[in-house]
Amino acid sequence: MTRRISKRKRFVMMNPIIQFFKFIYLSLKILVVVAGGHGGTREVK
Amino acid sequence: MSRIVVLGAGISGHVAATHLRRKLSKEHTVTVVSPNSNYQWVPSNIWVGIGRMEPKDIIFPLEPLYKKKGIEFKQAKVVTFHPEGDTEIDKPFVKAEYVAGEAKGTTEKVTYDYLINATGPKLAFEMTEGLKPATNKAYSVCTYSHATEAWHALDQLIQQMKQGKKAKILIGTGHAKSTCQGAAFEYILNVEQELNRHGVRDMAELTWIANEPQLGDFGMDGMLLSYGSNIMKSSELVEMVFEDRGIKWIIGAGVNKIEDGIAHYETLDGEFHTESYDFAMLIPAFSGHGFKAYDKNDQDITEKLFKGFMIVDADYTPRPYEEWSVQDWPETYQNPSYANIFAPGIAFAPPHAISKPRVSKNGTPISPAPPRTGMPSGITAKLVADNIIDTIKKKKPSLHHKGSMGNMGAACIASSGYGITKGSGISITTFPIVPDFNKYPDTYGRKLGKTFGEIGLAGHWLKLALHHAFLYKAKMRPFWWLIPE
Ligand SMILES: Cc1cc2nc3c(=O)[nH]c(=O)nc-3n(C[C@H](O)[C@H](O)[C@H](O)COP(=O)(O)OP(=O)(O)OC[C@H]3O[C@@H](n4cnc5c(N)ncnc54)[C@H](O)[C@@H]3O)c2cc1C
Repeated sequence: MTRRISKRKRFVMMNPIIQFFKFIYLSLKILVVVAGGHGGTREVK
Repeated sequence: MSRIVVLGAGISGHVAATHLRRKLSKEHTVTVVSPNSNYQWVPSNIWVGIGRMEPKDIIFPLEPLYKKKGIEFKQAKVVTFHPEGDTEIDKPFVKAEYVAGEAKGTTEKVTYDYLINATGPKLAFEMTEGLKPATNKAYSVCTYSHATEAWHALDQLIQQMKQGKKAKILIGTGHAKSTCQGAAFEYILNVEQELNRHGVRDMAELTWIANEPQLGDFGMDGMLLSYGSNIMKSSELVEMVFEDRGIKWIIGAGVNKIEDGIAHYETLDGEFHTESYDFAMLIPAFSGHGFKAYDKNDQDITEKLFKGFMIVDADYTPRPYEEWSVQDWPETYQNPSYANIFAPGIAFAPPHAISKPRVSKNGTPISPAPPRTGMPSGITAKLVADNIIDTIKKKKPSLHHKGSMGNMGAACIASSGYGITKGSGISITTFPIVPDFNKYPDTYGRKLGKTFGEIGLAGHWLKLALHHAFLYKAKMRPFWWLIPE
């Protein structure tokens, strides 16, 4: 069954104050994914 | 002294050229060959396509910047590759044809010590009969000029809807093997919000059409992600959003022909259907540019360099889906036949798809080609530049910098509506891009904490912040290199 976006969730999604903190949280979280770096996948023989 | 030639000035070509210039002394030359005089921040084309940004907001001319920074620029398109030179020139070169200025139409042999092919994809509209931007009521947002045309047509339709016209809008993929579903996904959500803003949402039937076997596949076999305190499949997330916005969907659909206001498509169950529309935005198939390569004696050696896109250090051995491995994906983007040629971004030939290949009951392949979004395009370009820089500085071959899409995360902020207080974005991160089923066997090949989704206003702010940050970086403003790819 399809999940629905609840009224409460919608409020959280569009509330600028809550979303300001979310913005900071997301920026940091994304930075972690980016800063997690990258590399190869093949073993060096 | 080394001469590095970069083909293309999109996200990957520009990243490579700017890093090379910053880190190499002026005795080495960096030359960019690209047919477009402007740099464009492609992800913001979506906002040009809904009239909330203008092309001037997302582009800037390359020549003045390159001149100032000491990067040579040739507004030309490469036509042939000659990695061994020819009977006249004993150095590798590419043949480039000028597309503007006094030299327009003339060709030049541009010699190099290192070549970075960052020519991205060819937008292969011709692979779908009748699909051509701004023809048959079908549009594209793949370039800023396409996006501008799309907005003009959509705006006209909105005005007609205000007069009482009911309209059908179709958005998605325009070929059975298209990729870049994410861009179409962003566009449909932005269009939906704009229809609301103009008070005509109830006059429009909005339909998503895609070659994805499931919603939220995005050419990446979908993903399992954390969403708040829940764990959700991307298909469930997208379904939730579409339901919320009243968007219908047709999936597993290979569009094969476009007529005036009619899309013909075949579905995975082998059925043939049509969908009528008043406005469509359909992403075409992406293909290689069809470049040819020749050896010293002018013999055709195209198969050493190209397999549609450029051949790099991937394992191209054909194998069934079950035997695909993350190790098949390239790490250094170096051509195996010519060690001084590299292809980052979309220009490299992927070893295979990421999504499971599917064929319809009639044998037609209908499944997404593998996407390569902005972030991996930038990262792979930078690592290619770094390896060339090391090789030049250390005076011996160095391939120390590696970045497989199987060991690299991607952040994708899908805009789902524009506006400082009314906007929204769906922020999705994935790690790794190509699933590693050995490392993460229980979570569809991805690391759960690093693969998450979030919906809300903050996503829009983030997308807007990235727009400004990446344009700042691309313009090489002070400390630009501190902004990661
Ligand atoms: C509408 C849209 C929205 C997107 N949104 C996002 C997003 O939100 N996030 C994200 O991460 N990714 C997004 N992407 C994907 C992202 O734009 C691509 O991954 C990225 O542009 C690829 O960079 P590239 O440099 O490899 O190729 P391109 O950007 O295509 O650049 C190729 C360059 O090569 C040049 N060229 C072409 N032919 C020749 C020739 N013969 N000789 C010399 N030069 C040539 C072109 O002019 C261009 O400068 C989006 C894509 C689209 C279409």
